[in-house]
Amino acid sequence: MTPGPEPANFLLELRGLRKRFGGVVALDGVDLDLRGGEIHALLGENGAGKSTLINILGGIHQPDEGVIRVDGGVTRIGSVTDADRLGIRLIHQELALAPNLSIAGNIFLGREPTRYGLLDRHRLVADAELLRDELGLLELGDVGEPVSELNVARRQLVEIARALAGRVRILILDEPTASLSETESEALFGKLRRLRGQGVGIIYISHRLEEISRLADRITVLRDGRSVGTQRAAALDMRQLITWMVGRELKEHYPRPPHVPGAVALSVRGLRGPGVHDVSFDLHCGEVLGLAGLVGAGRTELARVLGGLVPATGGEIAIGGIPVRLRGPAAARAAGIALVPEDRKRDGLVMTRTVGFNLALPWTRLWARGCMPDHRRRDAIIARAVRDFSIKTRSPDMPIGTLSGGNQQKVVVAKWMEQPPKILILDEPTRGVDVGAREEIFELIGRLVSQRMAVLLISSDLPEVMNLSHRLALYRDGRIVCQGAAGDFTPEQVMAELTRKVSPNITTDHP
Amino acid sequence: MKHLRSLLPLLAAIALLLIIFALWVPHGRFLTPGNLMDLAQQISVNAILAFGLTLVILIGGIDLSVGAVVALAGVVCVSVLNAAGPLAGLTAGLGAAVLIGLANGACAARTSMPPFIITLATMLIARGLALGFNESRPLPIGEEQSFILGLGNARLGGWLPLPVVVMLVVFAVTAVLLHRTRFGQHLYAIGGNREAARFTGIAIAGHEIAVYVLCGLCAGLAGMIHASQLYSAEPAAGQGFELNAIAAVVVGGTSFSGGIGALPGTLLGAVIIGILDKGLNQAGVHFSLQYIVKGLVILIAVYTDVRRRKSSVQ
Repeated sequence: MTPGPEPANFLLELRGLRKRFGGVVALDGVDLDLRGGEIHALLGENGAGKSTLINILGGIHQPDEGVIRVDGGVTRIGSVTDADRLGIRLIHQELALAPNLSIAGNIFLGREPTRYGLLDRHRLVADAELLRDELGLLELGDVGEPVSELNVARRQLVEIARALAGRVRILILDEPTASLSETESEALFGKLRRLRGQGVGIIYISHRLEEISRLADRITVLRDGRSVGTQRAAALDMRQLITWMVGRELKEHYPRPPHVPGAVALSVRGLRGPGVHDVSFDLHCGEVLGLAGLVGAGRTELARVLGGLVPATGGEIAIGGIPVRLRGPAAARAAGIALVPEDRKRDGLVMTRTVGFNLALPWTRLWARGCMPDHRRRDAIIARAVRDFSIKTRSPDMPIGTLSGGNQQKVVVAKWMEQPPKILILDEPTRGVDVGAREEIFELIGRLVSQRMAVLLISSDLPEVMNLSHRLALYRDGRIVCQGAAGDFTPEQVMAELTRKVSPNITTDHP
Repeated sequence: MKHLRSLLPLLAAIALLLIIFALWVPHGRFLTPGNLMDLAQQISVNAILAFGLTLVILIGGIDLSVGAVVALAGVVCVSVLNAAGPLAGLTAGLGAAVLIGLANGACAARTSMPPFIITLATMLIARGLALGFNESRPLPIGEEQSFILGLGNARLGGWLPLPVVVMLVVFAVTAVLLHRTRFGQHLYAIGGNREAARFTGIAIAGHEIAVYVLCGLCAGLAGMIHASQLYSAEPAAGQGFELNAIAAVVVGGTSFSGGIGALPGTLLGAVIIGILDKGLNQAGVHFSLQYIVKGLVILIAVYTDVRRRKSSVQ
């Protein structure tokens, strides 16, 4: 245990933090220190242990091993109240607000002012207004408004106001800009810099390198539950940083399959639906069309319309040249479209059942006709899927939850392949999947494409979508703003295009 | 004002029902002061049950045991009462109800069993205890127990039924608790987003236990009023009361998914259910049809409520 260079200056020090949940090691030795008046960015991929770490700091989990020092003294953060007392405030990634309460009610939740033991609503509102004005969060607006009526950006402001009510010494933000526009993000950064000026120590978690390099004073990379290195932002070595994140030189193997486009498999013209405004594109057999867009751009909404989950309100969809109307998921499936949804645990799998159950579920019409289920047929379907897609499970009878994220994802894809669809829509297929399994999923995509399947790959991971796709469509505000061969784009171009804020009625047309 | 507006449809429904039954019930016997006081008296037991249940449903729970607790509290109260006087009887009756509530709350807060199952089980247990207490026989209340008999039957000033006063007091206390205290605010937070409430440091288990205890307490009080109105504690009393009370809560606009609802709505919901019961009865509608009408009214009320909420969100 080596003390830092100026131990007395550290507001917060973490040494050798370890935490396991059952058999899963979430943290495997995290060291981190934070000074007052510093923004310390924490960078890491999904599953690197970021959320576990902040939950420990917030008093929600206890570490199994390791030391937490606040102001140089060893501290135990045993509960949310302890964290609060230490001035540690969290802003969670999934906004933790009560939608049915007002803005003011959420800001002071758990700390409501009372008078004669009764809730003092006037002071609640007055305090919230005061806080709003002090913090310069004027966009917050009427603090009496229920949170359910607010858009994401304003909800984020409620979270920030809540975290900053009372005495704050350490502020922890988890991916705060995930659903903010560029202007909104800039406004947030301004506020964070002001707090830094006031001596608050800020831990800023993000995977957006670009914003971190502008905002942070120091950057620590977390990988596989371990802190692998810290850099000063002033002397930033981007390559080193990326190497730390990925765990090896950034030559991740993207096996882009050879591009041999065939006939048009899916043709979409002027498609409209909830969150989808005028989308047109052609997807060919044997091709990966990458749909790149930020979170909140409406990509998932498009996937849901194409998967038949939400009815289109206008436009045309043709499959193999024949116009179709997707009246429901079954119709989409019958037309040859299979959707691998973004949230596999909620929409893709029956989490309470086994691997085999999930694999055989789409094919009940093959093995469960009438009242005598054909178990041999069912088992054959399952065995084929497990073998063809190398799903790593001890047995098909294991609960699906015992599989790793990557293998669960393979199940979601494999369950459609007993009779392969013509068109496969993958919505964020590598979310929450570790690096090794990602490659397997990439290879899987390559194999399906070489079997002439048409793949629509929706992703917010730029390297992934740029390297895997043959053609790229940039998606913003429910529209394709630009499309072309993937090789014609540079990451900078794509990023600039995706983050550009335009008034919602203007579409930019590119040649 | 916003709150008042959300009550308008319920007030309109009540006005409509009053007009219908004023015209329908023969000889204009429905809309007389005496009949309305009877109506208020009949509503009070269901309303008190519904107030407690509102708290439970608001945090996303359910309590099926309240009907059985009505019987248990009555039986315990009367048997102690006849031996040791009114104060001991009241204490014992409420104590029994609180114990069931405590069991419900402790199981709901400390285990991952669903409240529906927990309270289904305690409903059976409470019913069994009530039946076993006096070998399934009713326990008449001694004529000298004027205090307890008055609880269900006395009329203040010769016209205002005491149970209605008790009901209004319970309403006021619960409404203040729910709408004017931090405790109430936290119940809304727990019902609206349990994780958010947990992350804020709200002691969810404590709140949950308190809510089930309060619900039990309401059921105990309702049980003693009910026994008083019957002049005896019936071990089989209160069958299906939980369903009538749930009906009042949902008709009053409280969402079963938690976090949405308010006590005035429940009061009006109980009034609607009460008017339907009494009005259909006095209009001479066959009891089989009464059930169907009540079922349809619940469906319509909840459907319009869900519709209204959806359109206000969009």
